This record gives sequence, structure tokens and C-alpha cells, in this order.
Amino acid sequence: MPSPIFSYYTHFLAGAVHGDFGNSQWLQRPISELIRERFAVTLRSVLLGTLLAWVAALAVAVAATYRPNPAVEISSTLLSGLLITLPAAVVAMFAVYARAPVFLALSVVIFPKLFRYLRNLLAHANAQPHVLAAHAQGIGTARILSHHLFPCVYPSLVALLAISLSLGFGAAIPIEALCDSPGVGQLAWQAALNRDMPLVTALTLLVTLITVSANSLGHFARWGKT
Amino acid sequence: MKSFRNVRWICAALLCAIFLAGIFAGGITHYSYATQFRERPNAAPSVSHLLGTDGLGRDLFARVLYGTRVSLLLAPAAALLSTFIAGFFGALAGLAGGWCEKCILAAADLGMALPLLFVLMALRAVLPLDVDPMLSLVATFTLLGLLGWASSLRVVWAATQSLRNSDFVLLARATGCPPSRILLRHVLPNLRPVLFAQFWISIPVYVLAEATLSMLGLGVTEPLPSWGNLLRGLEDFSLVAANPWRIFPLLLLILAVTSFQLILPSQEEIA
Repeated sequence: MPSPIFSYYTHFLAGAVHGDFGNSQWLQRPISELIRERFAVTLRSVLLGTLLAWVAALAVAVAATYRPNPAVEISSTLLSGLLITLPAAVVAMFAVYARAPVFLALSVVIFPKLFRYLRNLLAHANAQPHVLAAHAQGIGTARILSHHLFPCVYPSLVALLAISLSLGFGAAIPIEALCDSPGVGQLAWQAALNRDMPLVTALTLLVTLITVSANSLGHFARWGKT
Repeated sequence: MKSFRNVRWICAALLCAIFLAGIFAGGITHYSYATQFRERPNAAPSVSHLLGTDGLGRDLFARVLYGTRVSLLLAPAAALLSTFIAGFFGALAGLAGGWCEKCILAAADLGMALPLLFVLMALRAVLPLDVDPMLSLVATFTLLGLLGWASSLRVVWAATQSLRNSDFVLLARATGCPPSRILLRHVLPNLRPVLFAQFWISIPVYVLAEATLSMLGLGVTEPLPSWGNLLRGLEDFSLVAANPWRIFPLLLLILAVTSFQLILPSQEEIA
């Protein structure tokens, strides 16, 4: 005779395949309906936050790699070093103080980790023989970036994009909870506080699927390159 | 290089001071973390209360010291647990190869795909919210230790793969050394620098994860202090603006996490 937990998850997964996650014990509503209502809010915040973090991190990493300047070097290292020490919930609290939008708080959480990877990645790629040769031939920085550097690091960039999306969804819980943003992060937090296991399980499954899909994208990019 | 070494020494000294302050909290302050001075809520710093009191009249300095003990003793314990899991299974996967390696790496991939905070919340939701504070403390850090091994395992596995074909392991195999002995006597001792780096990297991650969980009310519960639930006192901006010394736990957290990160050995040193 199958154990109740096994039969529970078998039924849950069979339903999930058809988009039916069951009902929320706490809200007494279909979980798929709750996710539909809130997912767009989180997706928009995560995408905007990730985009902003990428623009900022890439700009600072490129500046630090191609225009070595002690002021840029020290300030970017200090800023990323300070931001990486802040728990996501504290960033959310500062966002509440400053009445900043949720996506800005998410970008502050994503930026320091992204910047460190990008900085190392660009520094490593910049030391490759073909890039050094391009520099020696006097080719402009913009052309080196677009024709020599980014083509060789793009699989890593796609993998990094997947990681930053995963970071964004993870940070969405404390940020949406504390900033009172009606997304799936806040829903997950409220579900955990109300011990609504079907809802927490469905949300974890959803975010895991998104992370796995994003990671697969990174793998495909790497595979396509080889 | 020399100046960076000096920074490391300063960070190490700071961490030692913070650790010692946490361990000897009872000797430094004579207040308990739970004692309430109801006639003095939100008091300003004074000789009797060095960092003032919180909204319930509890001495903030005592709570910070005892919170330091909780966060800085249990985060390394959780890191030790996850490093042990990662070390054992990572080395096993790297050495054994075949289906054993595939299963362990698939589990690690699954572990890395699951967002830590979501899983922590899901598992924490299984426990009732009004659990005994000590149980919430143990549950929080045990969950952190049990869930945080996946990325470390990948690093250990990669390091073991490079050891698998090394001369001394081949020689041990050729002399008929059993696999368990190769693992315990030849591979694991050579993984020490990698394991130490993974252990050290995990500590600030767990300190920050505990802080976030406790701020959300899903970590260490009151009246037991931790850096996370001390930060909950910062939620009311008007209160923080009126009592700026309330920000001290956050400064201490930033200082400790920065110190942990600056002490980390570089890749060259690990190699």
C-alpha cells in the first residue's frame, strides 16, 4: 500500500502536468488561479530588475576592464562588496524607506554577484591571445567587444543570465513580502506563514521549472558554441 | 600584496573579537537577552544600557551579544554539515564514476536548481510557527546545512576528478588498496584546501540566509536573539530615524560578512 505522502505527490504531479495544482488550504481557491493572478507581477519585476542589474554590471565591468582607473576600480569594488553583504530583506527594507520600486531592489540584490562574475569573465577574455592581437592592431574598443570578446564569452553570459534570473526569483520572496508587492514571492511567504503546503509546493515547483528552463538555455548556448 | 595580507589580518582580528564577544556574552553584560525593563522602552544609549533598549525594554547590547553567539556559532556548524555532505559525496562521485557519479551529480543539479529560500520556506512551513525558540534555531541552521551542499559538491567533484588520475591514487589502486581507503586516506586529505574554502564561503551565505529568514518571521523565533531577528527592529523607519543606534546590528553583520569574504583564500592559494 503506497504511503500517504507518496500518493499525495503522485496525485499532485499528475494534476500539475495538466495545470491543476489543487486548491490552496489557506485561501480556499484554485492554486493555478492564484499563480495566474500574481505571476505577471513577479515576472515583470524580475525581468526589469535583471535587465537593470545587467546594464549596470556590464557598464561598470567594461569600464573597469577597458578604462582602468583607480577611482572606478575602487568605487565599484567597494560598492559591490558592500551590497553583497546586505541580506535581500535589508535591501527590501531600504526600498520601503526610499519608496523605491520592487525591480530596483531586485537589481540591487543581483548587481554585486553579477558584477563580480562579469568582471572576472571580461578580464579573462581580454587576456586571450586573439584579443591581445586585436588590441595590438589598434582596433577600437567597441569593435573588439562586439567582434572578438562577446562572441567568445557569450555561452558564459547566457549561463550567467540564467543564474541572475534564478537569483531574482529567490530574492523576490523577501522583497515582495516586505515591499507589499502582490507577486508570487509574497504569496509564497504568506503560504509558508499559513502552512499552506500545497501552495508552497506548487510555487517551489514553478520557480524550479523556471530555473531549470533558464539553466537549460545556458547549456544549449554552450552546446551550440561547441 | 603585503597590504592585502594586512587587511586579512585586520579582518581575522575583527572576527576573533566578534566571536569572543559572542562566546563570552555572559561575562561582558550582566543582562539577559530576555530581561525586560518595561519602564524604559526605546531608551537611548546610557551607561546602564550601552546601545539603549528595544520596544519591549530589553537591553539591545545584550541582545546583540547573544545574537552574535547564535549567528556566529551556528552558521559555521551548518557550513560544516554542508561541507561534510559535499566532501563525502563529491569525492565519492569523482572517484567512483559510472552510475554512482551520475546519480550524485543529478541530485546536485536538482539541489542547485531549487531556489534555497523557496525550499527553506517550504520545509520551515512544515513546522508550526509557535515552536520552541531553541527548536526553531536548530531547525533553521540544520535546514541550511542540509540544503546548501549542492554547489560545493560540484567543486569537490571537479577537484576529485583531477586527483583520480594522479600518480599516488593510481599507485594505491595498483597495490590493491580498497576504494574506501583510497577515499579516506588518499583523496579526502588532498581535498582539504578545497573543503576549507567551501566551508569558509558557506558561512557568510548562511549568516545572510538566516538573517533573511528571521526577518520574514520564519527563522529563529523570539525571544531568542539572532542577527536576523535583531534586524526586524529596523522595519519601522521613523523609529530608526529617532533611534539611529538601532542600526548597530546591521553594521555588525556587514562588518562580519565583509571580514569573512576578505579572509577567503584566492584560487591560486587553494591550488
